[in-house]
Amino acid sequence: MLQVLINGLARGSVYALVALGYTMVYGILGMINFAHGEVFMLGMFAAVFGIGLCTTLWGTSLVLNLAVALVLSVAFAAAWGWANERIAYRRLRGANMLAPLSSAIGLSIVLQNFVMLAVTKSKIDFPHFYGDVFTRTSWTVAGARITLLQVAMLGTTALLCAGLWFLIQRTRVGIALRATSQDMRAAGLMGIKVDRAISGTFVLGSGLAAVAGMMVGMYQGVIAFDSGYAVGLKAFTAAVLGGIGNVPGAVLGGFLIGILEDLTGATVGSDWKQTSTFVILILVLVLRPRGILGERVADKV
Amino acid sequence: MKLSTRLSLAATLLALASCQKKEDTIKIGLSGVQSGPDAAIGAAPVNGSKLAIEEWNAKGGVLGKRIEIVVRDDEGKPKTATAVAQELVSAGVVAVVGHFNSGCSIPASEVYDQAGIVQITPASTNPQLTERGFKNTFRICGRDDQQGVVSAAFARDTLKTQVIAVLNDKTSYGQGIAEVFKKTFEGKGGKVAVFEGVGADEKDFRGAVASIQKSGATAVYWAGMFVQGGIFYNQLREAGFKGAFLGGDGLFDDEFHKTTQGRADSVFLTFGPDYKAKPEAQAFLAKYRKSFGPEGSYSIYGYDAANVLLSAIQKAGSTDAKAISAAFRGQAWKTLGGEVSFDAKGDLKAAGYVIWTARGGKFVAR
Repeated sequence: MLQVLINGLARGSVYALVALGYTMVYGILGMINFAHGEVFMLGMFAAVFGIGLCTTLWGTSLVLNLAVALVLSVAFAAAWGWANERIAYRRLRGANMLAPLSSAIGLSIVLQNFVMLAVTKSKIDFPHFYGDVFTRTSWTVAGARITLLQVAMLGTTALLCAGLWFLIQRTRVGIALRATSQDMRAAGLMGIKVDRAISGTFVLGSGLAAVAGMMVGMYQGVIAFDSGYAVGLKAFTAAVLGGIGNVPGAVLGGFLIGILEDLTGATVGSDWKQTSTFVILILVLVLRPRGILGERVADKV
Repeated sequence: MKLSTRLSLAATLLALASCQKKEDTIKIGLSGVQSGPDAAIGAAPVNGSKLAIEEWNAKGGVLGKRIEIVVRDDEGKPKTATAVAQELVSAGVVAVVGHFNSGCSIPASEVYDQAGIVQITPASTNPQLTERGFKNTFRICGRDDQQGVVSAAFARDTLKTQVIAVLNDKTSYGQGIAEVFKKTFEGKGGKVAVFEGVGADEKDFRGAVASIQKSGATAVYWAGMFVQGGIFYNQLREAGFKGAFLGGDGLFDDEFHKTTQGRADSVFLTFGPDYKAKPEAQAFLAKYRKSFGPEGSYSIYGYDAANVLLSAIQKAGSTDAKAISAAFRGQAWKTLGGEVSFDAKGDLKAAGYVIWTARGGKFVAR
């Protein structure tokens, strides 16, 4: 049982980080950024590129190469998040809500196909050395096995969530973000640079997705142009489950879905994983249309 | 000239031109997965077929006409496969070599059957493909009710496995072969402790690994493809599972060794006999490597399928599907993989599955 919980939490930490991007953008713009899963995938590719670059330049070095790859992947994904908003959403801000939605779906298809055609149609192995170092160390707690990688994933997610909470609640940037999400026009009149706040939301969300991408790369060992699809869908579900637009809700939703998947796998069988996830989603939405934590609208960002 | 007259004249000219073109060449469709996780294994048979057709064209084509190929990517998705099949039919192909995945070949075969086009698959092993009475559907590989049986017998009789876990990828191929394996394994007195499916996009098997370890299974049968297979293998070993890892032909790709870093051991899978040592295969291998790089496990099946198909067309003396199919069944054909002949269903009369194992980052026949 404990094993199920550990595996589920590790899985869920990825969903949580990606879900934050969905929920923040929804909070501020009221739109679903369906291209977010692709940003996650771009982050993965940038990380592999970064590690490859370092290996060519000065060889294999665990900490240095991972750090360079992380910075590169976060920067690359953040740049894409920013560009996505500029290219596909900004001009549609006042339009009917279907317009940015279609634009997002289109962008997602473009990005996925671009990577498929320009980079590779096949899968790429994430350099195994790095994942292996982290999975080789493991502890056994009450019959359950937990690897250093799983601990690192949970730790990173916790750290990033705490950082994000601090940023939103305790800094001037956070005030600007919250104000924009509450009333874009009034915030603009108060001297808040609304465009910058919105761009900032995309950059933040995309950076978090890139971190998640790198974690998944190490955890699964293989990446491909369509890696963003499944994770994006689950993370979106997590955001809706927790209450879309609600930051703590996205994290809670992510962990819940992760655990739920593994719990179903262990009790009923892996075949039912998807079914149970989406049945729970439907139930929650029917009983609590705004999601589990969806009531606290004032907090939305 | 009146506009309508001009239009109809243009239409007539166009029709003539397209007729003219049709006279010049014989179109053969090559279809299969060329993108997504199966891209690596799926491109190989298409390249093999291309090579065979080039050789035929160099010798003057078939029935005195040049062969034109029409290549389509079905992305490994059943829905795309039907669309691709319809495209090939409208492009006017007389026969198709493809598809790769069973889940694609089965729906596509309905389209070809209705259009009266010969289809020969180099790799789809699900029995259902040839079990629906289609007269013009062939395969140049074995069936899962042959390879699943070989695997299960090996696990029970040679490895003496008592308890096994069977995981499939929920595709036509994976589910089909998993069920055959289970039935045979249990028929031989073994116990299948875990029998589950995971989605074809799943890459985190740690939940299933935990269930397998709890179940007391001493071996695992993976009914799916090599990308997931490699990841699953790594996660089994990561969790300390030391038992044998068995699989079908979907596991047979060198990418499996990249994912497992050449460290895979106790891996046993079923595939056709080794052809690479044969002297007559050397020219094929050299040419293939020159044009496309290292050969894939199914390159030779694509090559053989195209060769048999073109020989059958030549023999039939026409592009009529009925005549070609009759020629197909009419005689035994010499191929690089050995002599093949087809039964009434369109299956090989004898499919020689053998057990292969992983050694030093390569698959070797056992």
